[in-house]
Amino acid sequence: MGTVSMTGVSKVFGGPQGVRALDNVDVHLAEGEFMALLGPSGCGKSTLLNMVAGFEGLTEGAISFDGKSVVKPGPDRGVVFQEAALLPWLNVWQNVIFGPQVQGVPRSDYEPRAKEILRVVGLEAFHDALPAQLSGGMRQRVGIARALVMQPRALLMDEPFGALDAQTRLSMQQLLLDVWQTFKTTVLFVTHDIDEAILLADRVCIMTARPGRITRDIPITLPRPRSIDHLLTPDFVQFKAEIMAEMRGAH
Amino acid sequence: MTTLTSAARPRRLTGRLVVPKAGAIVLALILPIALVALWQASGTNGALFGGALPTPDRAWNAWVTWAFGPKGMGLNPYSGTWAESVVFSAIRVAKGFALAIVIGVPLGIAIGWWKLFAMVVDPTIQWLRPVPITAWLPISIAIFGISDFGSVFLITIGAFYPIVINTTHGTRDVEKNWIRAALMMGSSPFTVLRRVVLPAALPSIFTGLRIGLGIAWTAVIVSEMVAVKSGLGYVLWDAYYVGRMDIVIADMVSIGLLGYLSDFLIVRVEHWVLRWRRLQSFNA
Ligand SMILES: Nc1ncnc2c1ncn2[C@@H]1O[C@H](COP(=O)(O)OP(=O)(O)OP(=O)(O)O)[C@@H](O)[C@H]1O
Ligand SMILES: [Mg+2]
Repeated sequence: MGTVSMTGVSKVFGGPQGVRALDNVDVHLAEGEFMALLGPSGCGKSTLLNMVAGFEGLTEGAISFDGKSVVKPGPDRGVVFQEAALLPWLNVWQNVIFGPQVQGVPRSDYEPRAKEILRVVGLEAFHDALPAQLSGGMRQRVGIARALVMQPRALLMDEPFGALDAQTRLSMQQLLLDVWQTFKTTVLFVTHDIDEAILLADRVCIMTARPGRITRDIPITLPRPRSIDHLLTPDFVQFKAEIMAEMRGAH
Repeated sequence: MTTLTSAARPRRLTGRLVVPKAGAIVLALILPIALVALWQASGTNGALFGGALPTPDRAWNAWVTWAFGPKGMGLNPYSGTWAESVVFSAIRVAKGFALAIVIGVPLGIAIGWWKLFAMVVDPTIQWLRPVPITAWLPISIAIFGISDFGSVFLITIGAFYPIVINTTHGTRDVEKNWIRAALMMGSSPFTVLRRVVLPAALPSIFTGLRIGLGIAWTAVIVSEMVAVKSGLGYVLWDAYYVGRMDIVIADMVSIGLLGYLSDFLIVRVEHWVLRWRRLQSFNA
C-alpha cells in the first residue's frame, strides 16, 4: 500500500513546441518509503509532485498509485502545499476535519483521531483560531495535520518548510521524523535543501533542469529513528559531500 | 536639535487613527450640518432661487406633517402618509433585491465555474446590460400594467447585473490551491462549489450586493414615478406636479436615509460573515 510508480514520464507545457519541464522520468516508491526530491529551482519538482497528486496531466508515460493509474486527486494521497493553502474562512479544527467530513466519515470515527493529531502537532490551544491568526509555521502544521487525519497511504509534500526560519524548520523536521516513525506512510518530499533531504529521507533523488531529469538516486543509510542531532554526524557529512559533488558536476 | 513629539511621530503606516464611536458620529455629522446651515442661511423668506427651493426648516415642517399629521384631511393629501409610502417602497426594494440575489448569485457562480455555460450565457447578459432600467419601463408597463410587480421587476433587473458580474468575478478568482486542497481531501465537484468556491467568492458577492442595493433604490423611485401609484417615488413626482417642493425635499432626504440604512445592514452582515477576510487585510 502506498506504492508510487512513474515510468517514462514527460511533461511539456504549452503545446508540442512548449517547455519540456520533465523528460522521461522513472521513479518507484515502495510502501512506507521516504523519498526526497532534490534539485534546483525550475527543474520540475513541483510538476512531478502535482502529477502524482492528480492535479496535472502528463504528456507521455504513466503514473500509477497502488497499481492504479492516477487520474485525479484523492484522499489516498495527502498533499502538503508549500504555502499551506488552508481555507481561510475555516478555523484550525474545521480545516483539519475537512477531509473526513466531506468524505462522510462518521464524526465518532475522525474526532478522536483529529484531536490526537492536533495534539501531536502542538496546536490544541489554537483549535478555534483562523489561519490569519497563526504564524507561518503553525499554518504549515495545520496543513500537515489535515493531510495526516485522512490517513493517506502516501504523503506528497512540496517544500513544506521552505518559507520557515531555521529554528522553526528544525522543529518541523523533527516533528515530521516522529510522525513518519509512527505512521510509516510513503512520503514524496520535495525540497532544495540538501541537509533536509538527507536528514529525512531513505533515498535522495537528484534532479537537473531543462529538461527535468533524475540523474542520481542515492540511498541514505543513516539509522532510524533519526533526530536533528544526525545533522552533525560524520556519516551525514559524508552523504552531504557526495550530493554536493553530484550537484556541482551536474551544472 | 529636534525632539520627536508624539504629534510628529510617523504613524501613517504603522499606527492607525483611533477614534471612539461617539467621535466618529460627530465627525460624520459635521459636513451635513454645515451644508444645511449654509442652505438655510442663503434663503430669503424661506426660499431660494426665486421660490423654486424651500429652506430646510420648511422642508422639515412639511415632513413633520407628512409623517405625523392627521390622515384624510382634504387640504393636505400627504398628511400622515409618510410611513405607508416608506413601507411600500421598502417592500418593493426587498422583494426585487431578494429576487435579484436568488437569480444573480447562482447564475454568477455557474458562469464563473463552467466555461461552456459562460460562453452560452455571458454574452447575452453583457448585451442586455447597457439597457438602462428606464428603457425597460414601457415593456414592464405593457406586460405587468400599473402593478406592484412591474416595479419589483425593474428593481430586480437593476440589481441583477452588479450581483451577477461580481459573483462571476469572485468565482473565477478563487485560488487554485484551495480547490486543489479540497479535491485532494475527497470533495465532490459540488462540495468544492459549496464549501470552497462560494465562501471564497463571498467578498466579491458582497460588493455586488452593495452596488445592487444602491441601484435597487434608484429603480424603485424611477418605477414608482411612472409604473405604480404609491411609494416614495410616486409621492416625489406627485408633489412636484402640485408644486410642493418642500415635500420633494423631505422625500429625497427620506430616500437617502433609507438607502443608507439598508446599506448599513448589509455592511453589518458582511462584517460578521467575512471576519476571516478582515483578519487578513491591512486595515483590520
Ligand atoms: N503551468 C505552467 N505553464 C508553463 N510552464 C510551466 C507551468 N508550470 C511550470 N512550468 C515550467 O516547468 C518548469 C518546472 O516548474 P516546477 O514548478 O515544476 O519547478 P520546481 O522544480 O518546482 O521549482 P521550484 O524549486 O522553484 O519550486 C519551469 O521551467 C516552469 O517554467
Ligand atoms: Mg516548486
